[in-house]
Amino acid sequence: MRPILLSGHERSLTQIRFNRDGDLLFSVSKDKIVCAWWSANGERLGTYNGHQGAVWTVDVSPNTVLLATGSADNTVRLWNIKTGECVKVWDFPTAVKRVAFSPDGSKLLAVTEKRMGFLGTIAVLDINYGENLEDQAAEPSLKITCEDSKATVAGWSFLAKYIIAAHEDGSVSQYDPKTGDQLLNVQVHEFDSQINDIQFSSDRTSFLTASKDKSAKLLSVRDLNILKTYPADTPLNSASITPKKDYVILGGGQAAMDVTTTSARQGKFEARFYHKIFEDEIGRVRGHFGPLNTIDVHPAGTAYASGGEDGYVRIHHFDKSYFDFMYEVEREQMRK
Amino acid sequence: MSRSGNRADWADDEEFDDPSALPAQQVISNKDGTKTVISYRFNDDNKKVKVTRRIKTTVVRENVNPQVAERRQWPKFGNEKGHAAGPSFDTTSVGENIVFRPSTNWKAQAKEAEKEGGEKGSIQDQLKDKKVKCRICSGEHFTARCPFKDTMAPVEEPTAGGAGDTGEAEAGGLGAGKSSYVPPHMRNGGSGGGDKMGGRFEKDDLATLRVTNVSELAEEQELRDLFERFGRVTRVFLARDRETQRAKGFAFISYADRSDAESACAKLDGFGYRHLILRVEFAKRAT
Repeated sequence: MRPILLSGHERSLTQIRFNRDGDLLFSVSKDKIVCAWWSANGERLGTYNGHQGAVWTVDVSPNTVLLATGSADNTVRLWNIKTGECVKVWDFPTAVKRVAFSPDGSKLLAVTEKRMGFLGTIAVLDINYGENLEDQAAEPSLKITCEDSKATVAGWSFLAKYIIAAHEDGSVSQYDPKTGDQLLNVQVHEFDSQINDIQFSSDRTSFLTASKDKSAKLLSVRDLNILKTYPADTPLNSASITPKKDYVILGGGQAAMDVTTTSARQGKFEARFYHKIFEDEIGRVRGHFGPLNTIDVHPAGTAYASGGEDGYVRIHHFDKSYFDFMYEVEREQMRK
Repeated sequence: MSRSGNRADWADDEEFDDPSALPAQQVISNKDGTKTVISYRFNDDNKKVKVTRRIKTTVVRENVNPQVAERRQWPKFGNEKGHAAGPSFDTTSVGENIVFRPSTNWKAQAKEAEKEGGEKGSIQDQLKDKKVKCRICSGEHFTARCPFKDTMAPVEEPTAGGAGDTGEAEAGGLGAGKSSYVPPHMRNGGSGGGDKMGGRFEKDDLATLRVTNVSELAEEQELRDLFERFGRVTRVFLARDRETQRAKGFAFISYADRSDAESACAKLDGFGYRHLILRVEFAKRAT
């Protein structure tokens, strides 16, 4: 496969997201610019300009109408995807590290940083898709405060039944999005190893964490049971579950501050593929010159994209060998 | 009289002389459904070029999500506003092909590949430092190209031992390059009598000195001056490093007369030249 290199950013990537149809890819980086790309050929559709600080996070509404971004300038911005206009700005007391639309797109959660005397919070915003997109609620409908350990990333479960948040101390918790109560909190990773990313399976019944403790874990949404563990040899920044084939892709690498002392090979700047069920590592894809900060998989499972500390996004469209690979037991199953 | 009506003078007819006029494009439909398009253009050298293209049109039908198709029509915005359709070169490029084959024993395969790669790398590294070295004068050229090929013996190798098998092989090589046939005059050891073309080398050989432990800063002219005191010097060769142009520490001095060479050898062996003590001896004969 020949990767498509997107070089629209001048600084390291922070998050990339495909939309639900997989035709568009959104990327945000520390250089304040939000880019929209056609995933098929890597053409840039446009940029969303307006943020005053590093953009930490991006998410796209399920109907590809609105784009939400969270930034170090303490705002969440809502953009009209088609025109590139900013339709709404929400101000927060601290930087916003993660935004995520609920599966139906009616709600948006924003994870805010713990800083300057403010505790980390998860705010839930109601989103309208009326005639006038600028007509949005001014205040969050719900605010969850994380008193123990700040939430680093969060997302919605199936049918928006729970909010799943991952914390700086390596624990994962489950919240009720109606009341804001914490229902469960499980220490899944080593204590004090920050969880950098969680991504859900396509049916949102399970999710994958990527942690600094060099492992990724597949958890069930309902009871936060650890279903699978994928050990790696480097701190992980991002992890994604592939639809169509039962794989997971993990990305990470030496922390940015240690990078200059290591060569590209030793830095382990590779995307690692594991079999989701057998937990075996089945291959690696190299290419980035720095740690992988973010990975996202095409919703149809035909491609994946990775964004690195080197400022590049690489879109990989899988070729036949990716789809053909099967374990012996899988093959036997097919024959029956 | 209108010009167009009655073209009296052929010189007025500009159509054929006009160099900028190009024949019109022709489109021919072929029987097999393809089209041939013949067009003309000027190339960079301002020469007329005929371009013939055969075009086959294939219609591929694809079902696309209507929403995706609708989005495909969106105009560009933001920093891309007004840019033409299609990927632009400053933001989009295609990377090197990556072979990705998932496999259960991925680790073992990767290790093997790395090993192979590593070994290859090490051989290359070894060769990087290696330079071509002549066995006769240790210069940076192949032994076969050595200017002393015919006058000197290889530095380390004893000359006498090479009369047997090697002589035979070399004789064959001289003949017709690896052919098994050896001409009669080449048989019984190539170093026989009249194998060497011209006795010049033979003569040189007898009166050539090998000077070692020469200073790096030595010059050919200096050596010539030094050795010319003992007789007429026909040739001075000072081996130099190809890159630094510095002397490599040895030289060959040929005299016209062997007796001069003998006296020079006796006098200058152990002579202090620059900061080093010269060693002078008769050059060994080449096989």
